[in-house]
Amino acid sequence: MVKAVRGVLIECEPAIKSILVHIDNTHNHAFIIEDLDETHLFVKEPMLPALKQKLEERLKETYRPEEPLEDSD
Amino acid sequence: MPPKRKAPAGQATAAKAGRTSAMSTPGPATPRSVESLAVSDGDDDLDDEDVSEEQKQREAMLSKEADEFVSKFTLGGKRLGGNNDLGPRKYDAATPFFRKRDFSHLPLKPDHRNRPLWIDPDSCTIVLERFNPLAEQATDFLITIAEPKSRPTFLHEYALTPHSLYAAVSVGLRPKDIINTLERFLKTALPDIVRRKIEEHTRSFGKVKLVLKHNKYFVESADPEVLQILLKDKVIGPLRVQGSDRLTTSAAPRMGGLVIPGTQNAAGVHQANLGGPGGDAQQQPGAAGDGSKEDALLAALNEDDDDDDREAIHSFEINEDHVETVQKRCLDIGFPILEEYDFRNDDVNPNLEIDLRPNTQIRPYQEKSLSKMFGNGRAKSGIIVLPCGAGKTLVGITAACTIKKGVIVLCTSSMSVVQWRQEFLKWSNINPDDIAVFTAESKNKFSGSTGIIVTTYSMVTNSRERSHDSKKMMDFLRGREWGLMLLDEVHVVPAEMFRRVISSIKSHSKLGLTATLLREDDKISHLNFLIGPKLYEANWMELSQQGHIAKVQCAEVWCPMPTEFYDEYLRANARMKRTLYAMNPRKFQACQYLINYHEARGDKIIVFSDELYSLRQYALKLKKVFIYGGTSQSERMQVLENFQHNPEVNTLFLSKIGDTSLDLPEATCLIQISSHFGSRRQEAQRLGRILRAKRRNDEGFNAFFYSLVSKDTQEMYYSSKRQAFLVDQGYAFKVITQLANIEKTPDLAFATPQECRELLQRTLVDNEKGAEDDLETDDLFGKPSRRGPRKALPAPGAGNGGSGVRRTAGTLSELAGGQDMAYIEQNKAANKALKAAAKKKAAGGGDGQSKFFKQIQREKEKSRARAG
Repeated sequence: MVKAVRGVLIECEPAIKSILVHIDNTHNHAFIIEDLDETHLFVKEPMLPALKQKLEERLKETYRPEEPLEDSD
Repeated sequence: MPPKRKAPAGQATAAKAGRTSAMSTPGPATPRSVESLAVSDGDDDLDDEDVSEEQKQREAMLSKEADEFVSKFTLGGKRLGGNNDLGPRKYDAATPFFRKRDFSHLPLKPDHRNRPLWIDPDSCTIVLERFNPLAEQATDFLITIAEPKSRPTFLHEYALTPHSLYAAVSVGLRPKDIINTLERFLKTALPDIVRRKIEEHTRSFGKVKLVLKHNKYFVESADPEVLQILLKDKVIGPLRVQGSDRLTTSAAPRMGGLVIPGTQNAAGVHQANLGGPGGDAQQQPGAAGDGSKEDALLAALNEDDDDDDREAIHSFEINEDHVETVQKRCLDIGFPILEEYDFRNDDVNPNLEIDLRPNTQIRPYQEKSLSKMFGNGRAKSGIIVLPCGAGKTLVGITAACTIKKGVIVLCTSSMSVVQWRQEFLKWSNINPDDIAVFTAESKNKFSGSTGIIVTTYSMVTNSRERSHDSKKMMDFLRGREWGLMLLDEVHVVPAEMFRRVISSIKSHSKLGLTATLLREDDKISHLNFLIGPKLYEANWMELSQQGHIAKVQCAEVWCPMPTEFYDEYLRANARMKRTLYAMNPRKFQACQYLINYHEARGDKIIVFSDELYSLRQYALKLKKVFIYGGTSQSERMQVLENFQHNPEVNTLFLSKIGDTSLDLPEATCLIQISSHFGSRRQEAQRLGRILRAKRRNDEGFNAFFYSLVSKDTQEMYYSSKRQAFLVDQGYAFKVITQLANIEKTPDLAFATPQECRELLQRTLVDNEKGAEDDLETDDLFGKPSRRGPRKALPAPGAGNGGSGVRRTAGTLSELAGGQDMAYIEQNKAANKALKAAAKKKAAGGGDGQSKFFKQIQREKEKSRARAG
């Protein structure tokens, strides 16, 4: 019995890939179908928006935008 | 990437108004002006020719645009009825960008083009156009009344704060002068709210002075009514010394014959036998009159002094035991007391034989800062802010030579104690017996009746039980009165410590010296009350243009993390993360490349790392010498000496113990591989290590400051934060994403993925046990027993009790020395080579030493290694 999964190919920097893999690991491998190489990942299509959001959050941790708007102080 | 803080022209609102109007104005010229702005921010702020041309261009551009802006605006102003400062605002397409800081409703004066200042009435921020012809005078004025916030090439930002106004009053400005001068320089009318603020803050400041005369404390004021208020106060009244019922009235002091030694005036005045009028010594350098306006300004600045001369001063005496109570009370009732020391009329404390050496010339800005301190012939207490390497020490020494009384110098480490003493001997003619050192190792007293004591903060504030000698010394320090207390690097010492110092040692005046009057925890404001106001702050860019400090190219090098490292980084805890981004092999390569490159150019390089583990790894791998908290004093001295004089030793690795007060004029290049989070102070202090570069006045000389940052890690965020202070001083950081030809470096470390993985494994294993922390002790020897992770985060997998017992019961290999031995052997390699060389020299020729002695030597060393 062949089971087909719809997926999306993601190309990104190695660092971003690492983060994605890390997110995947901490979420019970819910996102990634196949880890292709340094810069490519194959990801489940329905999970893509969720993954994007998680990545955003993660990036925000690393780079808190410094003084978001200088004017607003 | 995070938005980088570039040396921005448009940080300030008022300036933005001009700029945005430029952007919105159609026409071919506009984009160019914007572009040139962006470029000039980045690179050329040190290049004079470019600047002047660009200035003209910009000036023309800006004035044209501002004109359009104004013509649009005055109409609106009229329509809206400009009588109300914060009245109804005009709304146009650009308004949302300004948010609540849209001040375009403030009407401009018709000749605003000739005036250099903008003001933000809400935050009392003043923006200065540096390219304006009046900028020089405006700068002098602003430095006196406001605190510099940001000083890049073209637009400077200053803030009016209560403290800065307090400082302005303390150097003799009156509110009237401040308001009039501001009014003259401002492009808009001075908003009422600012006027009120100035009046409110200056009204009571500086009205009352506390003067130590003939060793009695007097409360002084030019206004007898104020004194009456104080005398009627229920707390202060009874504290007045009985028997002096009437207020004493005397003539106010004049600058008169007081000459700060080393200044240009000094020679002249001495020849004229102190005959010149008082105004002479006070003329401010760089403000020699051309143009009547300038004279008017100077007159305004000096007017007060002239008035003082004519006015009478009223005073009453208070008991010295109650000085602090009175001070506190005065603050409570709104008359903060200024402390001044009339040292020329102090005949109780013996004079100290000290003078600057005749060939010593102090620089204009040092003179300026000191003239603030000795403004009216007395010594004011306060803080002088000069960049590292700009001769803070000499300022301190000159102050001591001016006061000529007993001096106590407090510094941060015993290393700088030695340096201060040497500087005193170098610049002044003081008798070496009169200058004593009080540290853990030596406790001398001076021979004569008075002298100079150099010591550290910790020696004086140490509350633990002391040795007999120290106790005797402390009693000696406490038991006498000092003319001047010099506080080196005041920013590092917490307020509580100061209170202790100040309460235990009696001094007539206090002078704080620092390069970076900022703390991440903002405890700086305490200093204003504990020591005194900020008397002077120098402009870094100006000094580097005049060649007093080195010109520095700053760069931030982005080093990508290899995937394995980054994976590990994502999983690691905070402590390990720091280690990992410091141990990034790409960073290592960048460091190696930069060291090779700069050594080939003949630079002397200092590499800074906060992370002790990576410091060691880098230094061992690259076979360079290094110093950290645990390095013994003698070894430190040896390494430093070699770094200074040995052409073979061009690179020195330093942990954070080298951040401050380390004087290495040979260093011309600085690489930072790991740092203390977002500490702006550390960044500035480290930069300071190369600002005094000996070769700074060579043609085209540039010092280099590299900050290596691991990409995609927290370091990027911290790095942008750290740079904020330097950017405000006008430095621009270039970002380097790729070092050219790095892969061609011979013996490039960690070039293969295999080596990278090994490094990662080793790093993980070594740090599993819990990384050791840098010791910031000044002890002679860092004792191994204290090397434990004192303040380290509890590391996983290690029985980290912090107690010696637990440590001994650690792994077996540790007991056998199987783990640490590996480093210690190599560890000493570079440093030890120096030692061996020195020994050889000492033995006279070295080669002539017989085998027998060599063997004995070797045996001795071995046994020492075993013992240590």
